[in-house]
Amino acid sequence: MATPASPPMSMPSPDLRPSRGTADERRAAFREGVRDYLPMLPALIAWGLVTGVALVQSGLTLAQAIGFSVTAFAASAQLATLPLIVGGVPLTVIVLTALMMNLRFVIYSAALKGSLQHVPFGRRMWYGYLTGDMGVVLYLKRMQRDPGWAARDAYFHGVATVNFAVWHVSSLAGIFAAAWIPRDWGLEFAGTVALIALLVPLCTRLPGAVATAIAATIGWATLHWPARLGLVVAIVAGIAAAVLVDRWRERRAAGPRR
Amino acid sequence: MSAALDPQVLWTWAAILGVAATTVITRCSFLALGERAKLPPVVERGLRYAPAAALAALVVPDVLSWDGATRLALDNPKLVGAAVAIAVFLPTRSMLATIAAGMAGYTVVRLWF
Repeated sequence: MATPASPPMSMPSPDLRPSRGTADERRAAFREGVRDYLPMLPALIAWGLVTGVALVQSGLTLAQAIGFSVTAFAASAQLATLPLIVGGVPLTVIVLTALMMNLRFVIYSAALKGSLQHVPFGRRMWYGYLTGDMGVVLYLKRMQRDPGWAARDAYFHGVATVNFAVWHVSSLAGIFAAAWIPRDWGLEFAGTVALIALLVPLCTRLPGAVATAIAATIGWATLHWPARLGLVVAIVAGIAAAVLVDRWRERRAAGPRR
Repeated sequence: MSAALDPQVLWTWAAILGVAATTVITRCSFLALGERAKLPPVVERGLRYAPAAALAALVVPDVLSWDGATRLALDNPKLVGAAVAIAVFLPTRSMLATIAAGMAGYTVVRLWF
């Protein structure tokens, strides 16, 4: 089979993947991603500090708090599982709860797949690990404006890198600051408040509100079940109820019944 | 050395790594699977509501209880803190202001009663 025309000297190996832009274009795209993220920094820093403080004040050792923050890199999943870990709930319940908190990333991952498929595998996995809520929103918004942008993955990398760096610095700062803060201030409650700020916007539409009501009620009613197994039941019931409401609304919107 | 081998300590590390594994698996899922993988619509819809359900199942029972029992009264610091936080979040949408207000409500009740 005929090989394509021999590549110019500057290309070390023939690569059939689409171009990811010149070095200059990639640097500019990375910087643009960094710049676009800057307005989000105050909230990110507050969130990181609170998570760091909560990890230590809930009773993890310094090493555990650092290890948790660095490996899990997931504020809401960390804060959600923290009381479960400290309370000695079975591992399965802890991991299932973390999975529920992280499931939204499966959707993000599906949304990113199309435009990042040309990135080499190892780098793609690194981008995946770096994925955060705000970064995905910024990237997808930028993509709408310019879908064919060759250096788009460098933009994603820029957004994700600021998020990663600032998150870890503020979370570690919170972990070390926690030692100086008296335990009875109850600062771990700040973690709960941060989760409330995430939950409220999810309740503004009907399916989310139903998921919240059902999951909260069952979660409360099953508090005394062994091993917090009621947590898993509550989450699954909440999701199922939201899906049912969603489908019912869709059917109703589709037109009058025959 | 005995501290490192303490079953309680090992267990905590296992839990931490378990949570970390869910981060890697969910974030890399579709980026790793390649071209053919696709989510059935009903699953995608369900995934969308998972965070709300998980947050509600965790946060609401936590806020309603104080000293190990359900306490629907104004002397429950977490309940008051949560109410103040929501009241501030709705108009401002600011994470910073919400955390400050929630902690303020919590602290006032904690010191008062």
